[in-house]
Amino acid sequence: MSAPPPDLRAAWALRAPERELLAWGLLCVGLGFAMAIGSAQAAGARLGAEVLVAPALLLGCVVVIHLGLVALRCRGDQLLTACIALLAGFGLLVRYRMGAFDPGDPTDPGLYALPLGVTAMLVTCALAMRGRHTRLATAGWLWAALSLALVVVVLALGQRFRGAVYGVGLVTPTELLKITAVVFMAWFVDRHAKALGEWRGPGSIWPPLRALWPLVGFWAALAALLLWQRDLGMLAVLATVQLVVLVAGSGRRGYLWWGLGLGCALGAAALGLFAHGQRRLAAWLDPFADPTGASWQILQGLSGMYSGGLWGEGLGAGNPEYTPIAQSDFIYAVIGEEFGFVGCVLLVVFVLILLWRGLLVAERTRDRFGRLLGLGLVSALACQTLLNLGGVTKLIPLTGITLPLISQGGTSLVTVLVMLGLVLALSDGPAPRASGARRQPRRSAQRGAQRPDQTQ
Amino acid sequence: MALESLTDPTRWPVVRVALHAGLLLALAYLLQRIRDLHPQLPMRQLARGKGGERRALLVLILLFAVVLLHQASWQLTGMLRPQFMAFMQLYDRRDFNPAHRLRRGRILDRNGEVLVYSEEQAGRVRRHYRDGPVFGHVVGYRHPRFGATGLEAVASVHLDGGTPLRLADWGRVGRQVLTQDEHPRGHDLWLTLDAELQRHAVALLGARRGAVVMLRPQDGALLVLASTPGFDPERIAATLGGAEDAAAPLLNRATQGLYPPGSTFKVVMAALALEHGFNTTIDCPAEGFTTSARYPRIRDHEYYEAREHGTQWPGHGAIGLGTALARSSNVFFAKLGVGYGHAAFYALADRLHANRPIVLHHSAHGRYTMQTLRLPRLDPDDRYGLAQMSLGQGALLMSPAQLALIGAAVGNQGVAMRPRLLRDQPPEALGQFFSPTTSAALLPLLRAVVTEGTARAIDDPALRIAGKTGTAQHAQGRAHSWFLGLAPAERPTLAVAVLVERGGYGAVAAAPIARALIEQAARRGLLR
Repeated sequence: MSAPPPDLRAAWALRAPERELLAWGLLCVGLGFAMAIGSAQAAGARLGAEVLVAPALLLGCVVVIHLGLVALRCRGDQLLTACIALLAGFGLLVRYRMGAFDPGDPTDPGLYALPLGVTAMLVTCALAMRGRHTRLATAGWLWAALSLALVVVVLALGQRFRGAVYGVGLVTPTELLKITAVVFMAWFVDRHAKALGEWRGPGSIWPPLRALWPLVGFWAALAALLLWQRDLGMLAVLATVQLVVLVAGSGRRGYLWWGLGLGCALGAAALGLFAHGQRRLAAWLDPFADPTGASWQILQGLSGMYSGGLWGEGLGAGNPEYTPIAQSDFIYAVIGEEFGFVGCVLLVVFVLILLWRGLLVAERTRDRFGRLLGLGLVSALACQTLLNLGGVTKLIPLTGITLPLISQGGTSLVTVLVMLGLVLALSDGPAPRASGARRQPRRSAQRGAQRPDQTQ
Repeated sequence: MALESLTDPTRWPVVRVALHAGLLLALAYLLQRIRDLHPQLPMRQLARGKGGERRALLVLILLFAVVLLHQASWQLTGMLRPQFMAFMQLYDRRDFNPAHRLRRGRILDRNGEVLVYSEEQAGRVRRHYRDGPVFGHVVGYRHPRFGATGLEAVASVHLDGGTPLRLADWGRVGRQVLTQDEHPRGHDLWLTLDAELQRHAVALLGARRGAVVMLRPQDGALLVLASTPGFDPERIAATLGGAEDAAAPLLNRATQGLYPPGSTFKVVMAALALEHGFNTTIDCPAEGFTTSARYPRIRDHEYYEAREHGTQWPGHGAIGLGTALARSSNVFFAKLGVGYGHAAFYALADRLHANRPIVLHHSAHGRYTMQTLRLPRLDPDDRYGLAQMSLGQGALLMSPAQLALIGAAVGNQGVAMRPRLLRDQPPEALGQFFSPTTSAALLPLLRAVVTEGTARAIDDPALRIAGKTGTAQHAQGRAHSWFLGLAPAERPTLAVAVLVERGGYGAVAAAPIARALIEQAARRGLLR
């Protein structure tokens, strides 16, 4: 048991490793910015001071993350923040290179996504740290209602675009499902964990329907709405989270088999109903049947990766603009083209470190709700990353889902940073008073005695 | 300014590589620091770990490893995916894409003469087609907008290098992955065609529209597959992009053209008669033959010639099969066909692959096919239609390649070998078109056509050509001129079919081309 740092100096000292890792991460991304800016300059572009906007923005964000966590005297995991900062910085770098935002235009919303996300992450962390994440559970069914309301709002106000219903104005409210629905699932499973674990029948093959039916009802509504919206990627992510949380919460692996079976049946039915999905499946099975039509984007992405080869062309030296809307779902292909296979492997390693720390935090969180919440959030991120990477490399059909922290899309970035803010808050551990009081009453008295010192 | 001097076009490539290497090294160092520091970050504020996350992490590592391996199969060893390479060569605009430096294999004739080759010019590989239109229909074309056809499409895998077969090939793949500088080279493609004969055939056809097909009966190897007018694969954009050409230069008349076969089809009817043991005579009077007074009478060409000259022709009288073939008697074969009836006719047509195209070569990238016979199923009461088809007229259509194949089957004891264009494809029997005795009996009859029949003009005792002329009437003007030739007559090693669109009499336009080609082949030692 380690108590929170008593003062800012102690917090500053505690977070020294984070400082070093953040500095190295900044150096890496800074070298990338040097390449991007140098390439533009070498290509004859006339560059002004606005080229420094994006690097300065990143520097500011990283400094704010670090100082913010110090000011909060947060004990949160420092590897987690290092990975978040590196990946978010990398994302900003690649989006800058793709011209996804205009650094010279102060009204460009693309400029504000990262600062907004970092702020949201710190605020979330501040609100939920010291064990306060349990407050989320008090809302209970409200999270389910909010989740369904989000999809309804998008369906009512959104615009149909490239086969699916997308955002209202500049935001994509359904991204928030990755928070609201996951919190609901964690709360529900935590609350009914015992009942959900009581399977019946020979060899316990029948799940307890009585305990399960509210969840089934929620899922029927959510799946119907998401299918109507044709957001199969989000459905896949949330279904994965649900299965992971159910299995982890109830200790019954049977949910996995039932879930896989139901998922396959539902997937087959959905494919039969939606031409949208059928086209994507056909483009996946035989991309060369219609190379200039349905498979153009994925084949251009793969062509870019092939020309990048092992080492990559170097940032700014490739032609990722030949891949349509590469800065969004296909940003991984851009990384493959310009940083090569080696760059992709490094990216995946950092993603894995991030997920590993997240899993570690979830595993070691004391309360079950927190444990399931952390696990749900991490599995949502893992699933989303895998779906994106698998889609871009043609391992699985395209789901039109973004790469967390890297892809263009302000709502996605802010949502992912809020999710990571929650994981960061979990890693801060429980409230010190409760745990300290249970073990040694004297220590709490000592801390009380220390208080005056602090004010001196 | 320092920045400007660094981004100077001469210096920037070096600076860029340095920055790139620096970035990758910095990331690697960051990983190292994370490894060093993570024991100092034990998260003691949380519960003691039981290692429950390890299994989940292992699953994630495995899943990401699968993604990366699959990615490597595109990004690093994409050259082993022929369709992918073809896509990039056609549609990828990135100058530095190694796919553009891939030199496809050459296409060579049976003697190793290079017909198609790739050459690097200014960092990009260009494909050259030496004889332009002469081989256009065989090798096809490749174009970013119009795709690929012919063997360029069908044999794409092989030409691009295909899957590595030997250890050395894998070594080459490895070097390419590491450096990307190695200029990969595909496999050569050897054809069965004889370039010299093919050129000769095209020259003989000249400005006329037509086709020549020559193959070896014993193994189906195509020595000539010519169609005029042709197209130049190197300038395909002009051909495809221009106005529609009435001469249809893109149509491979040899394999895809369908024409009334005319009297050449009498070879098939003679085989039908021999299969049924025909050994009598049929009366062929000057007034001809019809199945019903409602239809015009079918007469022999001698009748029309006599009428033109204002004289009378007494008719053939009762003649046997040999005379009927030599003189190409319409009345004889019309009566013969009607006599054997629909069932026998269709049974034989079916054996000859009627209405079923023959695939010469196929791959994932396309098929090289030839049309055969095209005929509708006539009403069993339609005896006049059958009589017409028995003469190779009416509803019956045939491709020049099919005529050559029929001739080859006669020359190979009735067995048709699948026609092939690739030297390394093993010979394969397509089917028994005729019985061996029929074929043996038919050859002397076909020889007689040349020695004393309609093709007398081309007889040469040294070449010993057997054959059959054809003059096919059609609705659009002058008759098509056909000739089927086999040489030497006793044991044919060459079968040749010639078609000259609107060439008039078979003996006049088509037969001399066949003779000239067989002569040339004999000079090249192909007639043994």
